[in-house]
Amino acid sequence: MGYINAILILGGINVIASLGVAILTGYTGLFTIGHAGFMALGGYMSAIMVKELNIPFPLALLIGGVFAGLCSFIIGYPAFRSRLRGDYFAIATLGFAESIRLLLNNTKVLGGLKLGGAFGYMNIPTHTDVYAIVLIVIGALYFAHMFVTSQYGKNCIAISQDEVAAEMMGVNLMKTKLTALFISAFYCGIAGGLLGMYFAYLSPSFFTTVPSAGLLAAVVFGGIQSLIGPFITAFILVLVPELLRSFAEWRLIIYGFLFVIVMIFRPQGLLGYVEMNFTFVHVFWNKIFHRNQTGASEG
Amino acid sequence: MELFLQQLISGISIGAIYSLLAVGYALVYSVYNFTNWAFDAFMAFGAFMALTAISSFFLPFWAAMVVSIILTIILSVSVEKLAYSPLRRRKAPRLFMMISAMGVNLAIVNMINLVFGGIYRKFPIEKVQPIFIGNVSIGRTDLIAGILSFGVLGLLWLFLYRTRWGLGIRASAIDILTASLMGINNDAVAFTIFAITGMLSSVAGVFYGIKYAVFPLMGVVTIKAMIASIIGGLGSLPGAIVGSMILGILETLVSGYISSSYRDLFSFLFLIIVLLFFPNGLMGKSGEEKL
Amino acid sequence: MNSEMINPNETLTIRNLTVDFGGVRAVNDVTMSVQKGELVGLIGPNGAGKTTVFNLITNAFPPTSGQIMLNGKSILGVSPDQICRLGISRTFQNIRLFPQMTAYENVELGFHSVPHYSIAEAFIRTPRATRIEKDTHKKAFELLEIVNLKEHCDERASSLPYGLQRRLEMARAMAASPQLLLLDEPAAGMNEDECKDLIKLIRLIHETMKYTIIMIEHHMNVVMDLCRGYRIYVLSLGSLLAIGTPSEIQNNPQVIKAYLGERKNA
Repeated sequence: MGYINAILILGGINVIASLGVAILTGYTGLFTIGHAGFMALGGYMSAIMVKELNIPFPLALLIGGVFAGLCSFIIGYPAFRSRLRGDYFAIATLGFAESIRLLLNNTKVLGGLKLGGAFGYMNIPTHTDVYAIVLIVIGALYFAHMFVTSQYGKNCIAISQDEVAAEMMGVNLMKTKLTALFISAFYCGIAGGLLGMYFAYLSPSFFTTVPSAGLLAAVVFGGIQSLIGPFITAFILVLVPELLRSFAEWRLIIYGFLFVIVMIFRPQGLLGYVEMNFTFVHVFWNKIFHRNQTGASEG
Repeated sequence: MELFLQQLISGISIGAIYSLLAVGYALVYSVYNFTNWAFDAFMAFGAFMALTAISSFFLPFWAAMVVSIILTIILSVSVEKLAYSPLRRRKAPRLFMMISAMGVNLAIVNMINLVFGGIYRKFPIEKVQPIFIGNVSIGRTDLIAGILSFGVLGLLWLFLYRTRWGLGIRASAIDILTASLMGINNDAVAFTIFAITGMLSSVAGVFYGIKYAVFPLMGVVTIKAMIASIIGGLGSLPGAIVGSMILGILETLVSGYISSSYRDLFSFLFLIIVLLFFPNGLMGKSGEEKL
Repeated sequence: MNSEMINPNETLTIRNLTVDFGGVRAVNDVTMSVQKGELVGLIGPNGAGKTTVFNLITNAFPPTSGQIMLNGKSILGVSPDQICRLGISRTFQNIRLFPQMTAYENVELGFHSVPHYSIAEAFIRTPRATRIEKDTHKKAFELLEIVNLKEHCDERASSLPYGLQRRLEMARAMAASPQLLLLDEPAAGMNEDECKDLIKLIRLIHETMKYTIIMIEHHMNVVMDLCRGYRIYVLSLGSLLAIGTPSEIQNNPQVIKAYLGERKNA
């Protein structure tokens, strides 16, 4: 029972972080291999809030998320500013995440706080339980859906498909990309907070490029421009390693091959471009409230 | 003063290694417009091949180097053929190419990890006495690495600027479509570029292995090369070298005078600051797209 | 900048526009003025720099020298998205639709490239936001109707035939509610019948939407027909060769010479 609990919680955390990366990479087309860095930022911040300042759990999570979101501007603003597009950001995500990890690794004490450096931040109050996870996952999915179906989300999609044309049609690239980045960092920050308050412990070693690659994997396999896809694969990617413990060393090798195979044979992943529509939910909802349908099909 | 000179020389030698990687990275980027994450893997692969050639097959250093170069070229070109060119032909978006590249990287680096294990190995060559100029010691290997790196870059320059084939590559770097319309064979260009990449990364891998150690994740240093390339101006080959030297020297100075653990952090911050003030790098072309 | 010399009705003013790429001068000292409501043609042999002029107007890259003014105010250095918001919209020589989006979504983007509600309202879709979306939805369909693409609204842009893609791009450009519409070879790849329909369509939108239009085109019959009563600018190798009415241009020996070796109805 405790085992299922763990799977649900860890799976849920992965889902939340993956949804964030889905918004940035799946919908806006921005490659990232550094979002574990935002998990670290949010994780440590919320842990500090709860442990040192006794701030209530939900508020601490929010603070962690916002903190991670604000930090994202450090790489977002310089990277998106230049007219040479795309790759400054990708490299910056890697550099950023590694820098965060380095900073945390080398910071035993910060202004009176015993962060523990490489030994980790300990004795974090545990607040994460299945109920919190379920609630937050539902919320994360809902708000992500609201965003990607909104005019903001559609601008993101336009950027992912032809940034130059989008700009010429009036889309402010900087603002739109920063928005997507903030949301993705926020989501990862919250996931990090939930993680810390589940393990009661946070270590910089949790936040290497390996989990970042895992988040990317969830989006690549789940599908570009899809939320349900990454939702499903994020869970599977937590479940499968558990079931196939003996293959642990092969996990990343398999991911690697799968990345290439998916890109060549089915770049849209499991459910890309064809969002397992919430339309049926919309239709149902509208019928209940006697509203007229909004018409054109989605996705 | 001696410490400063010491650091300077060490910085130059690491800058030389970064240059090899940065040029390889910039070459791929300027022609194909994506970040070849697999670079990481090629470097580690090159280093491990040389290591194996020496310790398991008892080849002399130079032979091992050649073997490593050849094997890495084969790897690099195969990766291009299998993982990139199908996407390139389809004009897949940059994101897809990067995902594929990251996949290659994950697969190869972790295979190396599986086969060789994660321990840090010393590169199996005899310790040589450093050369002393005054009180400043210059590692003989640093010297060789520096000279060889610049030698390789010089050869590359000769190739790119003094041969017809090199002209074709440069033309492709400007506009691959036009170049192909002029009769330049895209597949041959891809082969050449990735062969060059393979060569550069294996040489860099070997020298890095000699200077520090050989381990599966050693390719992580390619991010420094990418940063250096951006600082110099993404897509510009001279810029890549300039950026690498600046980064190598500055970062070694920081490491020597401030703290070695913050060396990498410095590099990243340096990147951010440069981007803030020089959005196109120090020497970069502002790559407008063809409309 | 002598703004007092500019007619307030002058939508677009270009003065001594020059751009160098490395050693190549793609646009050389070009001066153009387009009055409100005109339908101006921009023609010239391949490589004359016509699309480059469009790119300069929309600031895909900055000019080496010269001035570009919209309604008397300089738009040099203004970001492309801001230029669109100020009222200049365009189509592309090589068609740049959003390939995986449907025809409807492509057009819709033109309307909401600057979102009409706040981000908070995006997350919690207020009745106001829903109303805005319905409204946008209606307007997008109206545009699709005008360009005769309503039946294809749910098809992916990349799967549409070439001629329809060109029309879709026009609709998307119109969705941005421009005052100045830059059309880059709208008739490219079309046969005679399609050209006839296109002429009717452009004339219709010109008259009903009251756009000011600059049109790059190679199909001479299209240009000569649509620009009747207006002017045509002829570029060759980056420089202005001639300016005149369609009949003046057609009889201009220099223009004919510039096109020698090229089929007139390319």
